[in-house]
Amino acid sequence: MIKFDNVSKRYANGQEALSDISFEVSRGEFAFITGHSGAGKSTLLKLILAIQTPSSGQLIANGVNLNRVSAKQIAHHRRQIGTVFQDHQLLHDRSVYDNVALPLEICGYQPSDAARRVRAALDKVGLLKKEKSFPVALSGGEQQRVGIARAVVNRPSIILADEPTGNLDPGLSAEVMKVFQQFQSVGVCLLVASHDAALIERLNCRTIILEGGKLLADQKPRPQA
Amino acid sequence: MSATKPRTENPNQPRVKRNTRAGQSESFVDLVKRHRRIARGSASRLLQTPASSLVTLFVVAVALLLPALLFGLNSNLASLLAGFQDSAQVTLYLQDNVSVADGQKVSEGLLTRSDIEYAIYVSPSQALDEFGAASGLGDLLIEMTANPLPGAIVLTPADVSPLAVDELARQLQELPQVDVVQIDSLWLQRLAAISNLVSAIGSVLAVIVILGLFFVVGNTIKLAIENRKAEILVIKLVGGSDMYAARPFLYTGLLYGLGGGILATLLQGIVLATFNSNLEGLMQLYESGFQLRGFGLMSSLLIIVAGAAIGWAAALMASLRHIRAINP
Repeated sequence: MIKFDNVSKRYANGQEALSDISFEVSRGEFAFITGHSGAGKSTLLKLILAIQTPSSGQLIANGVNLNRVSAKQIAHHRRQIGTVFQDHQLLHDRSVYDNVALPLEICGYQPSDAARRVRAALDKVGLLKKEKSFPVALSGGEQQRVGIARAVVNRPSIILADEPTGNLDPGLSAEVMKVFQQFQSVGVCLLVASHDAALIERLNCRTIILEGGKLLADQKPRPQA
Repeated sequence: MSATKPRTENPNQPRVKRNTRAGQSESFVDLVKRHRRIARGSASRLLQTPASSLVTLFVVAVALLLPALLFGLNSNLASLLAGFQDSAQVTLYLQDNVSVADGQKVSEGLLTRSDIEYAIYVSPSQALDEFGAASGLGDLLIEMTANPLPGAIVLTPADVSPLAVDELARQLQELPQVDVVQIDSLWLQRLAAISNLVSAIGSVLAVIVILGLFFVVGNTIKLAIENRKAEILVIKLVGGSDMYAARPFLYTGLLYGLGGGILATLLQGIVLATFNSNLEGLMQLYESGFQLRGFGLMSSLLIIVAGAAIGWAAALMASLRHIRAINP
């Protein structure tokens, strides 16, 4: 579903954010990307979202060759991906409901259909009662969960998450991971950037470790006892 | 997998199939509802900054008003002239030695010309009677021993354009029986020519104004986009196309044009009312009931529709250009 083939990313200033990365994440797979800050986690997610293009190597996500995509293809490509951003990226002049409904509105869902999906997504992250609130009135953790609801509302085939549990207490983190795992079980491909070692340890998922832009290790889940 | 066929080569996502097709499942009623919601959003944003919105609205209105007023006044002038032009007359004053019978013969001869529609001979005695009746000096004239008035032929040219009338007058002047040729409506025809010129100037002005409106609305939209950059960024991140992000701004442009057009028709009503109150005194002196008319329903609608179309098109150009430049 996501395939990196010797992908490197050099920025205009000469800094090499990723070098020679190769791995593949398939449908229904849940993988963590971990590493210190500056290791290239965010760049990797940006490449999949077509915010950046690879400098060399080939990157295919969801059947789209991201080395050469038109603006129109990019918009369509992003609709297939649910993304949880580290800085939430919420619209502050719209209610929680409208924020979560945005991807559905872009896809042209019927309002009644959209309402059902938005409420289901908000229910999953425990924010059903806050649908009329505005993002500024919410805590960091709540904003994070609005972002998660927005990422899953469209039932994407790929979910990307950049530090989705950064602002959440362990209980809520576990809840969010449970939501992610539900999507995994129906064939969604998940790629989660995190440096929450305890969480990664507990979930026992595949873990891709980056260091200085290089792939340090690609650990498969431990066999269940 | 190849990049050129992302949709067809992606069979393994049954649950998200709707996403790619959802746009097609939207009914017309839903589409209208959605656009109405976007339009309402754009309108409420304009109301949030009433002062600057009003200024832009006035600029658009005044820009539309200038050529509209020029066309409007000119069409009034043209309709006023049309009434006179039909009666464009040329009077031939005959030599004193031309007898009544000769005069009538000349007049009948002129009627056979294709460039003369109508000609009638007025004998010196007829002229005297008419003058006596019109001036109220009939009693005095009886006392006169000789009639000082010459015979005349009053004719209507077939072609009333100034050039044709001038040419006709030149030819008639060469007739031996003719003393003086007088073109009664020459000044009106000159005015008609000026009216055509004014209408040409109006067309040029309209083009300039349309260009100006593109800049004004385009710049306003550009500022609005700058103010909502963060929002456009988020829309793009979750897969909104440039067109989707541009839609609210298209309605903003449309509303500016529409509002400006409506304001322009109102303003022209005020301008014409002011003119008319001054014109009334003048026209009473001429014993004319002439009044400046407004643009009429169709012309007013045209101004409003033109304003809306220009506003929309300007917004489309500006927003696509500036939104394309915003990237995560």
